[in-house]
Amino acid sequence: MNRLKKYFALTRAGIIECVNYRMALVVMVFGNLLYLTLIYFVWKAIFASSGSDVVNGMTFESTMIYLVLATALFNFMEMYIVWEMGRDIQSGKIALNLLKPMKYKDYLFWSVSGSFVVNFVFTFIPTFLIVMLVTKGTIAIGINLIYFIIAVVLAVIINYEIDFIIGTVCLYTESIWGINVMKQAVVALLSGATIPLAFFPDKLRAVIAYLPFRAIYDTPLTILLSHNPDTGMVAEKMLVSFAWAVVMSLISNLFWRISIKQVTVNGG
Amino acid sequence: MNKEYMIELKDITKEFKVLNRREGLKGSFQDLFSRDYKIVRAVDHISLSVKPGEIVGFLGPNGAGKSTTIKMMTGVLEPTSGELLVNGRIPYKNRTQNSQEIGVVFGQRSQLWWALPLIESFKLLKDIYQIPQDEYDGMMELYGKLVNFDEILHKPVRQMSLGQRTLSDILATFLHNPKVVFLDEPTIGLDVAMKSKIRELILELNKQKHTTVILTTHDMGDVDALCERIVIIDKGKMLYDNDIAHLRKFFGAYRTLKIRPRENIGVMVEELAKELETMDVRISHDNEWVFLLVNEEKTSVLKVLGRIQEKHKIKDMQLEEISTEDVIKKIYKEGI
Ligand SMILES: Nc1ncnc2c1ncn2[C@@H]1O[C@H](COP(=O)(O)OP(=O)(O)OP(=O)(O)O)[C@@H](O)[C@H]1O
Ligand SMILES: [Mg+2]
Repeated sequence: MNRLKKYFALTRAGIIECVNYRMALVVMVFGNLLYLTLIYFVWKAIFASSGSDVVNGMTFESTMIYLVLATALFNFMEMYIVWEMGRDIQSGKIALNLLKPMKYKDYLFWSVSGSFVVNFVFTFIPTFLIVMLVTKGTIAIGINLIYFIIAVVLAVIINYEIDFIIGTVCLYTESIWGINVMKQAVVALLSGATIPLAFFPDKLRAVIAYLPFRAIYDTPLTILLSHNPDTGMVAEKMLVSFAWAVVMSLISNLFWRISIKQVTVNGG
Repeated sequence: MNKEYMIELKDITKEFKVLNRREGLKGSFQDLFSRDYKIVRAVDHISLSVKPGEIVGFLGPNGAGKSTTIKMMTGVLEPTSGELLVNGRIPYKNRTQNSQEIGVVFGQRSQLWWALPLIESFKLLKDIYQIPQDEYDGMMELYGKLVNFDEILHKPVRQMSLGQRTLSDILATFLHNPKVVFLDEPTIGLDVAMKSKIRELILELNKQKHTTVILTTHDMGDVDALCERIVIIDKGKMLYDNDIAHLRKFFGAYRTLKIRPRENIGVMVEELAKELETMDVRISHDNEWVFLLVNEEKTSVLKVLGRIQEKHKIKDMQLEEISTEDVIKKIYKEGI
């Protein structure tokens, strides 16, 4: 318990910091509304041009529900870890953060965990409630919520590990802009954050099945939106996510350990 | 290695591999594929031992390798070669464990949480360093006695002035009662009052907590106020390592002659430079005074004064021991 206290202290500080920047919260909520309006019209057009109510097994309504929740999830999942690491490394501030009495990876994670909490409470939960009210009964309330929470925790871990691996590249390149933009595009697409995976061609979907990205958005949302989820299906998905979390964490630890020798620490 | 030392460096060398960059846009693109590296040796075979409770001043001109040495001692950088022990551990191998027992201030960089009031930063440090409540209370009480920090305690760090923030950073660094504290230019950019406040604070914490302090500075006031022992490095090499009194004795034959002229000071300095050319005197000045650093083994001060008075009228004069500042300047320029 005492050991966890030092991590939760960082969460607490992060929450205070986040709430301090009130305007940023407001801007985020409005930005979201704007984005959601946009995708509403885009997908309306797609469905209209297809001439049928069901495209790739999804109705317009189910597509919208999926995308709205994916956006809400994205808002708290994307913590700009890569930027954070890039800035730390370029400015030399990494020297101070390396000297905290915990691993840099843990320190960084727990430092941003406060905004996870704030964004979850201030964007995900309201969005979820609104979707639930508006669509009356489309979302089942039951065991799927519990499964969803577990899947989200795994998703957060996998997402963080991927970010940390990309951020570590910064130790070699010093500049990270291009790589990060690429990473964001790849993750947004292959995880199902911007387009439901059902809309992908079969071949691409077969490839995606062997990649970690789908565990970030597709898995939690599929579980959340299923009625009476089949335990076998859920267990299999969770197991895959869990395995990815372990694998990515091993890779990122190893890569970091090799790379940190590289650090030169700017400034002084 | 020896147990009685808090810090031990043996033959420590640090080299950086840097790309030979080309100029311009075209050059930048060529650099993308360049393997044209050069090796910069920032620290060159430095050996040093520091006892618990000592305050050691690291001096040297810009680019001498002071910060690099500190980064190695804290464990952020791995030495290229040599042996290094801090508090009985190899710093870069046990970085996380080690950081529990050291504290670091890096110049203008702050370790405090920007958006949080200072007291929240302190509480956070208390938790992440797992400082027991009674020790924390004791430390806060001590701080309360040493500095008047009520007015900044509830201020968010981003709203602090540079001086207030530096003060806060130093307090934060000592909070977990580290055995060694590294201060890389702790008084940079501060006014006279804040400088002396911070010096007193460091000295007092060193005394009361027996903390070993390594500090770098370009301000000889820091050295005079804090350090009994100084280490001078230049171009990565150790030039001097001994107590400061010894250093002044070393330059004991030097006196500073201060003169306040009646005429325009700039013109006078120019003329003096010519008139005293043969006498091995170093001349500098401020708005009011001309300073002449005289080596009495070669020329007596009286002779110099006589020569000056042949052509110039003097309003006022003083004779002083060589200042630390002058000693260091001489060493930077001419070596030992
Ligand atoms: N990350 C780095 N990469 C390449 N070279 C570096 C790096 N850091 C320092 N150096 C070089 O090492 C040398 C020593 O630098 P260092 O920062 O230790 O000097 P310093 O004594 O702290 O100087 P100052 O008084 O200006 O702070 C310099 O020549 C510097 O250019
Ligand atoms: Mg420096």
